[in-house]
Amino acid sequence: MEDLTEMLKGTLEGCVLEIIGGEETYGYAITRRLNELGFADVIEGTVYTILLRLERNALVQVTKRPSEVGPPRKFYALNDAGRAELATFWAKWQYVSSRIDRLREGGK
Amino acid sequence: MSFWETITGSDLTRQWKAFDARARALPAGYRAAWEQIKGNLIPYGDFTGRNLTPILDAALGLLEEASADGQGIQEVLGDDIPGFCAALAGGAGARTYRDRWRAQLNDNVARRLGRLGG
Repeated sequence: MEDLTEMLKGTLEGCVLEIIGGEETYGYAITRRLNELGFADVIEGTVYTILLRLERNALVQVTKRPSEVGPPRKFYALNDAGRAELATFWAKWQYVSSRIDRLREGGK
Repeated sequence: MSFWETITGSDLTRQWKAFDARARALPAGYRAAWEQIKGNLIPYGDFTGRNLTPILDAALGLLEEASADGQGIQEVLGDDIPGFCAALAGGAGARTYRDRWRAQLNDNVARRLGRLGG
């Protein structure tokens, strides 16, 4: 689906948290995962700025690992604060999506 | 940072030279993007531009990782380099001239209002 950028803006950070929560991973792999899910417009630069924000807000633990080619890669894993943030994200998502579903069903 | 470096900014010159040396190792498309990134980040610099070095280092790191993965620059940054730079710098909480002007304006207005209100 195209032109999801605006709609995704507030939720992409939560999606990235969820992916990191699954297993320790790095920027390129996260971007590919989002692309596979159908978010074709998401580029690595976007994911990277989110990762920097998560790092700055101390929600992730960053480890530099040597890679076969090029410079060492930064791997990201959630810390306790990150897991709490992820739980908050899903609670908020649940709230928003249930209200929007109710709206579509006719405001019951 | 030594006193001498603080005064002359010699540490900055050295860091920028080191960045350019790293950038020269990148493919042509990436080098062009690097030049654009530098240009777009300058407005976010503080008085000495010292706040920019970690941001530039992070951006260059991304370019290096991505080119090693064999990605095209378009796949990595899309066509919105100014937006990318704003996200990089804004997230850093980089205090820019604009922020300072705003704060000053807010202070002035608050003071005037305070005086009017007695």
